[in-house]
Amino acid sequence: MHLSLEDLLAVRDGDATVDAVAHAESCPQCGAEIERLRAIQGRLAALPEQRPADDIWPSLRAELTARVQRRRWALAGWAAACVAAAFTLVIAVRGGLESWHEAQLVRETKVLVAASQQLEQRLRTHGGAGRVVNGRTADTIVQLEDRIAVVDAQLGRVGPERAQSQDVLELWQERVRLLDALVSVQTTRTAYVGL
Amino acid sequence: MTLNLLEAATVLQAGEPTGVTTRATQMTTVDEVLVARAKAGNEAALEALFRHFEVPVYTLARRLTRTSHDAEDVLQETFLEVVRSIGRFRGDGSFEGWIRRVAASKALMKLRRQASRAPEEDLSEELADAVAAERAHGIAAIATAPERLDLQAALARLPDTARVVIWLHDVEGYSHDEIAAMAGKTASFSKSQLARAHARLREMLAPRLEGPCT
Ligand SMILES: [Zn+2]
Repeated sequence: MHLSLEDLLAVRDGDATVDAVAHAESCPQCGAEIERLRAIQGRLAALPEQRPADDIWPSLRAELTARVQRRRWALAGWAAACVAAAFTLVIAVRGGLESWHEAQLVRETKVLVAASQQLEQRLRTHGGAGRVVNGRTADTIVQLEDRIAVVDAQLGRVGPERAQSQDVLELWQERVRLLDALVSVQTTRTAYVGL
Repeated sequence: MTLNLLEAATVLQAGEPTGVTTRATQMTTVDEVLVARAKAGNEAALEALFRHFEVPVYTLARRLTRTSHDAEDVLQETFLEVVRSIGRFRGDGSFEGWIRRVAASKALMKLRRQASRAPEEDLSEELADAVAAERAHGIAAIATAPERLDLQAALARLPDTARVVIWLHDVEGYSHDEIAAMAGKTASFSKSQLARAHARLREMLAPRLEGPCT
């Protein structure tokens, strides 16, 4: 009785029983079957390589860029929230002692913090959602993000005693201005690519 | 039928095939420096890496999945996974082997998702093409086509599980034990699927080569 297909494959792959190997060696028909199975294996491995019809790198690159940006803004949002929280805390503690001028500064700064948070929210929702960026736009985005990072670092170094100072107000003004520019770049790019 | 083999697809990433054969060794070795630069997020290095693996990974994906569209998805998903996990790649075992495992895993996950939605009997592209050719020109048109196209079309006609087993075992070099571990089944399940795949291939290939002329 000849070997089953499973046994023939086991002989081909070198993990058959002694009996099966012995049969295969003495039976020309089974020997030929094993050679045929080996030939099929070789032909499968020799099938020509295939190439995707479209170049998927541009969309892949855009997706990678978008992921990096989403991650960056998730982190930036967290850092800015910490800065804003510390600021609010200081106002709460010193609230009763404010001079008129301090109160004015606090009000203005609060408005800027809120504006800043809104702009960041927009960046998180719309920022770089898998769209292709030309080199110049990418440079602008990187520069703006770097400058925002510098402002954040400065805000992070402000101690509680200086929380409502003209310096801090100006830092928040700068932050809002940069975020606003960044949103414009993102929006323009989006509109441009969408056309 | 259910594709139990595909349910444990992620396990595939745990082990490297031990009996790596022909195809798996054809990919040329990738520069360690390139990998290091890609790890650091260098865009040019990432593109170079993508170009290096684009065709082999697409080819593997094309063999395992049903359509060229599925294979492009798998290529994209594989590369995104590679970028996400490249920092955890330790450098023991080949980079190529790792990428192939990720690709096979992504392909199996796609098949599993499809199996839960669409019946496996769906015509694949090759089958559809072959059927169209048969209708247009009769069987002789296929018999005179290059033999390797016959084999490729026959492979595509196999049921998903049989196709995956024959490709992973006979070409990628996975052992029956490794395939069994992926499937949460026994090695004899993998052996019987391999035998089934070869039996089906023989049925599909033999009549065209030896069939009577009418
Ligand atoms: Zn025999």
